[in-house]
Amino acid sequence: MKRRTFMQIGAAGGAAAAIGMKTASGIARSSDTEFALTISPANTELIDGTWVYTLSYFLGSSRPSPEIRVTEGEEISITVTNKDTQTHGFAIPGIASATIPAIEPGATAHVVFKAPWAGSFLYVDPYKEPLNRILGLHGAFIVEAEEGKTPYGSETPFSGPKQTPQVQALFDALGGGDPRFPGDQWRRNDLRRDKLWLFSQTDPALNARVAAGEMVDPAKVKANFVPRYFTINGLSGYDTAIHEGSHSDDDDDDWDDDDNPAGRIMPSGKEGEPCLIRTMNAGLANHSVHIHGNHCFILSGVDSEYRNECALYCFERDVWQLSPMQRTDVLLPFKRPPDIPLSAWPPKDEPFPLRYVMHCHFELSQTAGGGNYPQGAVTHWEMTAPL
Amino acid sequence: MSNLEDTAFEERLTFSTFGCDPFKADPRTPDREDADVTIRLEGAEGMDLRAPDGRKIKVWSFENKSVPDGQRRLTYPSAPIRVRQGQIVHTRLSTSKGPHTVHHHGIEPSTANDGVGHVSFEVGDSYTYQWQPSSPGTFFYHCHRNTVLHFELGMFGLLIVDPPSGPGSIYEGGPTYDVEQAWVADDMDPRFHAISNHDAGLCGLDVGLNRFEPKYFLLSGVFNNRTMTDSRTMVSAKLGQRILIRLLNASYSILRVALGCDAEWVACDGRNMGQDPWCDTVPIPAGTPFELTTAQRYDLILSPPARGTYPVRMEFRHWITGEIQDRGAGVVQTKVVVS
Ligand SMILES: [Cu+2]
Ligand SMILES: [Cu+2]
Repeated sequence: MKRRTFMQIGAAGGAAAAIGMKTASGIARSSDTEFALTISPANTELIDGTWVYTLSYFLGSSRPSPEIRVTEGEEISITVTNKDTQTHGFAIPGIASATIPAIEPGATAHVVFKAPWAGSFLYVDPYKEPLNRILGLHGAFIVEAEEGKTPYGSETPFSGPKQTPQVQALFDALGGGDPRFPGDQWRRNDLRRDKLWLFSQTDPALNARVAAGEMVDPAKVKANFVPRYFTINGLSGYDTAIHEGSHSDDDDDDWDDDDNPAGRIMPSGKEGEPCLIRTMNAGLANHSVHIHGNHCFILSGVDSEYRNECALYCFERDVWQLSPMQRTDVLLPFKRPPDIPLSAWPPKDEPFPLRYVMHCHFELSQTAGGGNYPQGAVTHWEMTAPL
Repeated sequence: MSNLEDTAFEERLTFSTFGCDPFKADPRTPDREDADVTIRLEGAEGMDLRAPDGRKIKVWSFENKSVPDGQRRLTYPSAPIRVRQGQIVHTRLSTSKGPHTVHHHGIEPSTANDGVGHVSFEVGDSYTYQWQPSSPGTFFYHCHRNTVLHFELGMFGLLIVDPPSGPGSIYEGGPTYDVEQAWVADDMDPRFHAISNHDAGLCGLDVGLNRFEPKYFLLSGVFNNRTMTDSRTMVSAKLGQRILIRLLNASYSILRVALGCDAEWVACDGRNMGQDPWCDTVPIPAGTPFELTTAQRYDLILSPPARGTYPVRMEFRHWITGEIQDRGAGVVQTKVVVS
């Protein structure tokens, strides 16, 4: 069985030119301020080999659901061309000025807005909400801080005026005097320290109805939604966890770091190299994001208007709730896994890297096609070496 | 030396070893130290529960073999584990009815001792998990094989880590309590409990494990028709006593809780609050609802200022629709009685 997710761009039914391609890779870098997106239907292969009709925003010709990264305060220009046969739009909840309510089939529309204070956002199709969003029209919009330093000079992902004293205290404790956080501080402008977990779900029955030309009532989507596939950055199960040398020989070994979409998901580093994880949910189901190996600190959430806000309580959790359209940034501290006996650290018999899973604890989301545990919303992170 | 053959440490992770056919082994515990405490669990052991409507519900449990024969009995949820911060603990699992694992949820040991098959191994016959809890608090443990099924069927129990001085405070020098109650919220879909194949769905068969329609709602193993009076759920305290509630959401629902008296939230997920500048404790006024997503734990201190009966209501809400499960029937009620 092929274990790589493939897409065919074009209409359902296979009339379109088919290009085998990888999902959820391309990162549009933060030095860019102009982005040209195309909305197009595609057929997408899921983890168990099932194909479904999907809709995606593409960057260029082959980058579905690109992660768009910009810097706060910049003027951002986004052009969207609708190559589908239905009306669509573009919006970034929390940035009201970034909205294109409707783009007719074949039309191109344009929006210019100022990037707000740094934070993690989702872009979605607001048209027939939440129907088009759940069919795949969503992606991550990341606003990086210009400076992001605390008054003590520690780097954070958030701008000074938006930082809470709690977030400042936590980032100041990292790699500083606090013996619980030996090692390094968090570092910005380094994607190894800045990961993305964009959750979503797929109910193939819904996709099939849309593919068949049925006019689905968006108000009834949620009540009838029975997801059978659960994704992080468009990938499920084994596909979220491919690292060098680990995937099977019959796959063509052409991954490199930039090209491996699992690399955007899986944190990897040494003890004392804290990593930011931007978790967000474009789907209709709640997720209960559970991590092994280290608790994470909650850094941010969204307010009632979906604007980003820093936490007043940086809870240290092993499970956090990610409701639909929620975005929560967390810090994975990369501490020595604290319950390894002190006398057995660093381990001698057990080899590095130490690998720890992250999965949704609504275990229903760990399935694919009604079984196949754990080929759902799961990945893992790894600690490659002690301090 | 331990022998890590046939585990993820020596074998290649593939689509198949990730899911359908995870590593199975019984290595010696790597980096083994002498234990202060040894807990012997055997699972899965089957038992039947009688639901309020008379229906027999099959559950699977871990049996605590550390308890002498004759005093030992199977429980639902599985036997609680209680240890102290700083102890080196060995959890010795022996399996029956196929491979299982023990994952001590919220405890963070080495990968080999974390109980997740595809990054380490599942246990064929027996294995000794080694861990040394660094933080006091409320945790739980569960099987991590085909977890969607094994966890739902009952292969889980509460895990409490006391500070070195033992029960009575939530951490050394921290808030104290006189009365303690664990509330483990759980829901059951009888369709899951009718599945007898431990490996159902693992290799690709559609067994509907993405759908969950609970019909029974329990607190600490008590069906919700008896939670108002059962000593495992209701709380009795004297005026002036401080009550510690250890609340765990072990269901597949969002748990919305409202208490009839004020509470202070003092720890979450086995980590104390109020010790660091980034996370204070949180007052929760009486009647203010709060939510626990699946697998979260809240430690709450209650010190009601007057005698009386304080109601407690927990709603089990669907993970997609947000509606109360089973057309509004998914509710557990209990009470705190102060005399
Ligand atoms: Cu887990
Ligand atoms: Cu767990």
